[in-house]
Amino acid sequence: LAVTSVGHLQAPGEPAESTTGEITYLEAIRTALQDAMREDDRVFLLGEDIGVFGGAFGVTAGLFEEFGGERVMDTPISEEGFVGAAIGAAWMGERPVVELQFADFITCAFDPIVTVAAKTHWRSAQSIPVTIRCPTGGGVRGGPFHAGSPEGWFVGTAGLKIVCPGSVEDAYGLLREAIDDPDPVLYFEHKRLYRTLRADAPPTGHRTPIGPAAIARAGADATVVTYGSGVSTALEAADAVDADIEIVDLRTIWPLDDDTILASIEKTSRVLVLQEASRSTGAAGVVMSLIARRAFEHLDAPPALHAPPDTPVPFAPELEDAYMPSVDSTILALDELLAY
Amino acid sequence: MPIEPCAATPSVDADDRIALFRLLLLQRLFEDRVMALYRQGRVPGSVYTGRGQEGVAAGAGLALGSEDVVAPLNRELACHFARGATPADVFRNFFGKATSPTLGRDGNMHFGAPERGVFPLVSMLGDLVPLVTGAALVFKRRGERRVAMTFLGEGAFSVGDTHEGLNLAAVWQVPAVFVIQANRYSYSTPVSRQMVNTNIAQRIYGGWSIPAERVDGTDALAVLDTVRAAVERARNGNGPQAVEALTVRMHGHAGHDDARYMPSGMREEFAERFDPIERLAARLALDGVDPGAIGRMREAATAEIDAGLAEAETAPAPDPGTLTDGVYAKPPW
Repeated sequence: LAVTSVGHLQAPGEPAESTTGEITYLEAIRTALQDAMREDDRVFLLGEDIGVFGGAFGVTAGLFEEFGGERVMDTPISEEGFVGAAIGAAWMGERPVVELQFADFITCAFDPIVTVAAKTHWRSAQSIPVTIRCPTGGGVRGGPFHAGSPEGWFVGTAGLKIVCPGSVEDAYGLLREAIDDPDPVLYFEHKRLYRTLRADAPPTGHRTPIGPAAIARAGADATVVTYGSGVSTALEAADAVDADIEIVDLRTIWPLDDDTILASIEKTSRVLVLQEASRSTGAAGVVMSLIARRAFEHLDAPPALHAPPDTPVPFAPELEDAYMPSVDSTILALDELLAY
Repeated sequence: MPIEPCAATPSVDADDRIALFRLLLLQRLFEDRVMALYRQGRVPGSVYTGRGQEGVAAGAGLALGSEDVVAPLNRELACHFARGATPADVFRNFFGKATSPTLGRDGNMHFGAPERGVFPLVSMLGDLVPLVTGAALVFKRRGERRVAMTFLGEGAFSVGDTHEGLNLAAVWQVPAVFVIQANRYSYSTPVSRQMVNTNIAQRIYGGWSIPAERVDGTDALAVLDTVRAAVERARNGNGPQAVEALTVRMHGHAGHDDARYMPSGMREEFAERFDPIERLAARLALDGVDPGAIGRMREAATAEIDAGLAEAETAPAPDPGTLTDGVYAKPPW
């Protein structure tokens, strides 16, 4: 992969500006923001360095020029403050879209998200239509504070919806849906996919519904349940194993689409849960719990988990490469599952 | 020492003086009643009161216009009444009834009224500062002449959220008004063990360049006058405003807390001279309001509370079958 310098980190892949009918995952996100802002003046963006600078990863490049500083607002470095303020704006019926510079920084905004945004509708019928974009994941040599996958801390939190696009189409469609959605949505966009995933541009206005998982690849011998960066890893691995693999792309990791997961396992009788979040966090726990409770009788092998160890994300290339699930390591995990 | 009447404050007209007195009475009499019920074991959970702080709650609540929004804390019952809540609504919330403002999902002072622009209380101190800043940002964006208000205690000034929210309000110059209930304690911890400079107004102005005034929080007329001026400055595009209202929390943090950590006699001496209800009553008497009329207002407030309690006590309990309803505005399944 060519390495393009992006901000102060390196993201693999070609420059974002594509010249064909294809667009990158990053462009899909930018286009979704742009289309939503053109259609609905309640939509505005706020975050660190998203205005003139265009964002640490360039996602909002050009939007300041089109929409101005009132709708593409640079904030002071205060995640707890501007996430809280976005919730207040959503309370008033606007459709704020927050960019956290890195998903890791969501720790600073944990309180307004779980305390204010998540609980408000249940106890007062007050809708909070806020979208929080979280550039997530590793493979960018970000180390312990810039490469994490913190979605697991929010999985299981009543009132939140959590989406993790694993394709260009869903990067666009889930973001449009998140902005329209009346509930708080955490949108985890994977930094490594920004410039490595390319596909035909989805039609303007395309929506990916929040909730349903997708069958990214149909198969009969084993199921991979995954999301985010795991989808492209699993697709590549599936092509390389000597078996017919089905891939469930969760897309929404909370609340979970139980039925699609269970239907796939009923068909294949073997399941591998693949995620980039360290093994005891992420979505794996709720997926495994579901499998243990409701798919036990359909299984021909113990449900397998392929995920990094329970450590922070390491920096050194040798360490990070060993830490992250790769196509090769996923092939090994599938072979083991199939051999049981 | 005799009770000290509220300052004359001629800028507050007769109707507002009477409205203010009614709000003070409702908070005091409601809280007396709910505390008695709590001690009888008839209220689940906790009871929080704002005894000694009613003047701030009522004055600031009355300073808002009907299109403004507010996020009260747990000592601002009179603010809820100013925004149209009824004693029955609040009793139902204390009892956890199906028809409470939170459908029994939350208790005591943790409730709001979306239809009246009242955000339901969040317990974590400071959370409401960025929240109302964001609401005020919307008013500014849309060019609406509306104001967003919240209350804070001294405790919130040790929380990072408060700094972030005040800073955003100042940088964005939004129409937010912050009313500080300076009641000298955060639970059991006196303000002297929370901050070095206890002049919060000075800190707000010095730290965030938000205009901040100090007012006697036991003088409800002065609070109304001062907060109303702050609200109008915010409404007129002069950016965020703050008012620090000095008072004393005359109860413990909650019903279970006898506040033995407060110096002996402090609250009694305070009540004798600065009880906000009696201060306003004394001023109304000086205004020439007939003592019989003041007495009738006390009776009317008591009757309103009696009726609210009777209604709330017979309200249905929530059905456990509804527990998961409303987690989402748009359930995905």
